[in-house]
Amino acid sequence: MTGPAKKHLAQIKDIPAKYPANRGSLIPILQDIQEKLGYLSEEAVEELERLMGISVNEIYGVATFYTQFRFSPPGQHRIQSCQGTACHVRGGRQILTELEKRLRITAGQTTADGQFDLERVACLGCCALAPVLAVDGKVHAQMTTKKIPAIISRYADEGNNRR
Amino acid sequence: MISLQQVFTQAQAEWKGLQESKIPIFFVGAATCGRAAGATEVLERLRSHIRAKWLKALVVEVGCLGPCSFEPLVIVHKSGAPRICYGNVGPDEIIHILENHVLGDDPCAEWALGKMTPGQLDGIDDFDAHPMMRRQVRHILRNCGLIDPENVHHYLARDGYRGFLRALQIGPDKTLEQVKAAGLRGRGGAGFPTWRKWQFCRDAPGRRKYLICNADEGDPGAFMNRSLIEGDPHAVLEGMLVAAFTLGASQGYIYCRAEYPLAIHRLEIAIGQMRELGLLGENIQGSAFSFDLTIKKGAGAFVCGEETALIASIEGRRGMPQPRPPFPAESGLWGEPTVIQNVETLGNLPMILRNGAEWYAQYGSESSKGTKTFALAGKIKRTGLVEVPLGISLKDIIYDVGGGVPQGKALKAVQTGGPSGGCIPADKMDLPVDYESLTGAGSIMGSGGMVVLDEDTCVVDIAKFFLSFTQEESCGKCAPCRVGTRAMLSILERITAGQGEMADLDKLEQIAQTIKDGSLCGLGQTAPNPVLSTLRYFRTEYEAHIRERKCPAGVCPQLLHAPCSNECPAGVDVPLYISLIRDNRLEEALASHLERNPFACICARVCPHPCEGKCRRTQLDEPVSIRALKRYMVDTAKRIPPQEMVRENTHCLGKKTAVIGAGPAGLSCAYFLRRLGYTVTVFEKQDRPGGMMAYAIPEYRLPRKVLQDEIDWLLGTGIELRTNVEVGRDITIDRLKADGYQAFFLGLGAWKGMSMGVPGEELKGVMQGLELLVGRNKGVDVPVGKKVAVIGGGDVAIDSARTAFRMGADVTVVYRRTREEMPAIASEIEEALAEGIRFEFLALPERIEGDSARVEKLTCRRMKLGEFSLDGRRRPEPTEGIFQLEVDTVIAAIGQRVAAEAIAEQVGLTLKSSGRIEVDPFTHETEAAMFFSGGDAVTGPSIVLEAIGAGERAAVAISEKLSQDIAPKDRPRPFWRRTITNDTEFDPEAEPVETPALKQKTLPLDARRNFREVELEIAQNAAYQESLRCLRCDYRVEGCSQTE
Repeated sequence: MTGPAKKHLAQIKDIPAKYPANRGSLIPILQDIQEKLGYLSEEAVEELERLMGISVNEIYGVATFYTQFRFSPPGQHRIQSCQGTACHVRGGRQILTELEKRLRITAGQTTADGQFDLERVACLGCCALAPVLAVDGKVHAQMTTKKIPAIISRYADEGNNRR
Repeated sequence: MISLQQVFTQAQAEWKGLQESKIPIFFVGAATCGRAAGATEVLERLRSHIRAKWLKALVVEVGCLGPCSFEPLVIVHKSGAPRICYGNVGPDEIIHILENHVLGDDPCAEWALGKMTPGQLDGIDDFDAHPMMRRQVRHILRNCGLIDPENVHHYLARDGYRGFLRALQIGPDKTLEQVKAAGLRGRGGAGFPTWRKWQFCRDAPGRRKYLICNADEGDPGAFMNRSLIEGDPHAVLEGMLVAAFTLGASQGYIYCRAEYPLAIHRLEIAIGQMRELGLLGENIQGSAFSFDLTIKKGAGAFVCGEETALIASIEGRRGMPQPRPPFPAESGLWGEPTVIQNVETLGNLPMILRNGAEWYAQYGSESSKGTKTFALAGKIKRTGLVEVPLGISLKDIIYDVGGGVPQGKALKAVQTGGPSGGCIPADKMDLPVDYESLTGAGSIMGSGGMVVLDEDTCVVDIAKFFLSFTQEESCGKCAPCRVGTRAMLSILERITAGQGEMADLDKLEQIAQTIKDGSLCGLGQTAPNPVLSTLRYFRTEYEAHIRERKCPAGVCPQLLHAPCSNECPAGVDVPLYISLIRDNRLEEALASHLERNPFACICARVCPHPCEGKCRRTQLDEPVSIRALKRYMVDTAKRIPPQEMVRENTHCLGKKTAVIGAGPAGLSCAYFLRRLGYTVTVFEKQDRPGGMMAYAIPEYRLPRKVLQDEIDWLLGTGIELRTNVEVGRDITIDRLKADGYQAFFLGLGAWKGMSMGVPGEELKGVMQGLELLVGRNKGVDVPVGKKVAVIGGGDVAIDSARTAFRMGADVTVVYRRTREEMPAIASEIEEALAEGIRFEFLALPERIEGDSARVEKLTCRRMKLGEFSLDGRRRPEPTEGIFQLEVDTVIAAIGQRVAAEAIAEQVGLTLKSSGRIEVDPFTHETEAAMFFSGGDAVTGPSIVLEAIGAGERAAVAISEKLSQDIAPKDRPRPFWRRTITNDTEFDPEAEPVETPALKQKTLPLDARRNFREVELEIAQNAAYQESLRCLRCDYRVEGCSQTE
């Protein structure tokens, strides 16, 4: 097993024990794994098969149904462009188009340098402040395309500074 | 066991201490939307300021108070003063308020939304009297925004858990009776009677029973449940205890979507507090009732809001629905009896038990008891979380609570019920908001999302939006849903791309029915609703996309050239002529305008420029002064000879067409028919052509020569004009047919003035506005005195007022509503005011008095604004007040009717009750074959530009019919409708110029007591600068997918 893979498994091996030992715990366990690793790696799913006695096929069958789960490593920052009704009516589509243009990716992808993930979400629940954008969970309200470059560079700079 | 009584006493003491605090307290609205609006920065700044200045003050984070459009919200407690709720408070503002109100004596009224507690404060009203709050009844949300949601003592101090204790006291059977008597219906969307669901579960056999709280709130546009959980989690949890106790459930789950991390966090804290208080676990409060709660996080699947899919998810499976029966109440989680309730349904329970079913049932309507929260969003001034009694009308929510549509735009529809719901059109705003009424109108109550749509929203786009959402979220189990939604979506995509066909509309309805019949769960069964409801109320909008390849709202990118030209009823390519003006290619600019609208000089003076109303430049500063640019263009450019506008066609020349009425509609129709090569004769009953343009519009707005030259140019295309001929009287329709005319356009206009219906109207000195205007334009002497009252608020009223002014009179305009509601062109009203004309608003004439020779006075009643009517304007209501004006002339200008009876009879038309002619909205054909109509005769009084557009569309439709017998290769086509390539230079990356909008110069005020043209010519440099302000919304980059 590779180094990173071993590290993964070390991080997740204690998770299943926190939950009752039945099928109903599968989704919470997967959620915790993703929180730890940032995604569901192949090794993690295989290890879960061992720990829970549920086949890898079955696990993927459940995990792929839910949009929350990722199967590839995430970017440094997660951008969610809300496309809910209120945001749509107030120009949410243009915000997403501008983001795709600036980041040079389409929704559902990660930028080549691994900095940003871009996702469409159906509704962040802040409809009174539409259109909204969330970056790493922080919601930016009453968005305009003009505000986008500043927001992107703020997070990009943070990433650079940390390195 | 913890003594709850002791805890209650402690809690009350703590809460009292808070209310009577000697030190200041800042309650900052810091729920998810508060944070999104900047509450985090306010909290940081406040806390660091307090620390730095060694101040004694408390900062408490509270939930959502409701008026989200005013966020960040802060309620400030200062000892000895009423608590004040402040809105739009940023970090700087809160420090200012701290310094000036808390540490000073200036209550900072400019940010205050209202007082939360009794007391006198200058300039600050009660919060409950705020326009957004006064119609609301905040029961479910009673604690939100007022308590610290993480401090259970606050909840307990405000009667927390008393409802559950009462339920424990009276027992499960009586509790069920209370819930039944209260009439509580499920708030998740379907409105199923809550007591009945519980009854099924109680009656069902099982080893254990489960209660699930559905906090998956997936409807885009809905945030009511999130706000309640974040602001007052115990209200929901107490409700769960009441429900579980009644059901005999021993385990509860809260299924909350992962996208609500703050809500989940608050729930975790609250559940921990419940355990500490002995409200969870074995033998709660010494009773036989044992119950525990677990939180389950949703993993991002909208379908898991559906009961059986939610259960599958908790069981660790794919969230796919199961057939029902058996219903979860009989066989649910792990096969056991399970009740699933929405967050808000549960939030209602504590108060029903605390205050009794009778108290609860006094709110709401007969069938829909209680109050409901709504997430009011979209095109509305005051967005937010509102709570109102069920049965309230939609118009009261939209116009009263919500403040109506911003920027003076027209309401189009209100969307309720999220992707399962539908659109209620603007003319149905008196619909009561209850379960049955909304379903009957083609929508549903849903969980409470209410999105307001205005004239700039395309309903086809909205239907497509919702369908793409449900299509994406469809779990895929049922073929009708999985494949059917995909099929419907493809059709909608084609329609919005301009590739639709009329047969598509029937297909949509058929597929919709199949999906509804064949789907297992609510997602599929309701997915077609947005399409069906928009087809029901807005079919014409769909048809415009199909028959005209046009998106009237200006949204669908592939059908949009530019917002301005899209809005122009004549389809003039505005960005083209503006960019040609910039490049000083004025002849080309004018020529391009004449392609679509021959009345360039006239419109440059009188058009109310709907194009400017859609100009995107408005979002930066002000719209481009398009009409002024047009004026510059017509003043400067030479016109090409009219014959060059015509494509002679020998096959058409022999076909005679008759246009009745030489107004803008008729002349426009004649122009375009002639351009196609037909033979055209225009019959006009007056002495001269022009219709309203010649006879109603005063000279100081439109000089006679300008008008005549323009009409002469148009006639120069080869149109025969016969004046002083009244068709229907001087010559009959039958005669015209016998003379070989094959098609007819009725451009009759709306000329009959409406009487005011007041005593004294028959006196000498009382006249119709049109009488004055027409008389003046004919050169007839109209006896206007020195003291004139003009009744009305439209363009005829203002024109009459400014005309009377120029005839030397002292003028007062009397209008029954307010200035904002006057339909007249805004700039005309401004000029009238500048000229010294007085206005009496909210005034209605009651009586005209005088003797046989003259009028002497006009008595008017003062009006006040009352209830909202359907169009969003408040109905004027009489007050006790009256006043009198001493006048010698009264001019009535309250509207004009169509008088088409004579011709209608000869043609064989049935007129509408308003007297107007009914036509197909696209072809303008009447019920009588080959008889077409447009302009005021169809729409009622409207603008010149509408008539021009109607004439053009009718001409194309007439030609369509007349040319059937011509070989396709020789058939005339509306060649002017192709898009002319704009070859001017434009740099899309350049920043917009920052020059202010051009304001056209006018005659000085002291030089206006005459009929000289008021608007002056425009200098070349001013025009050039203005043309640079255009953002060229028509510009498309190479390879852009949104090209037409």
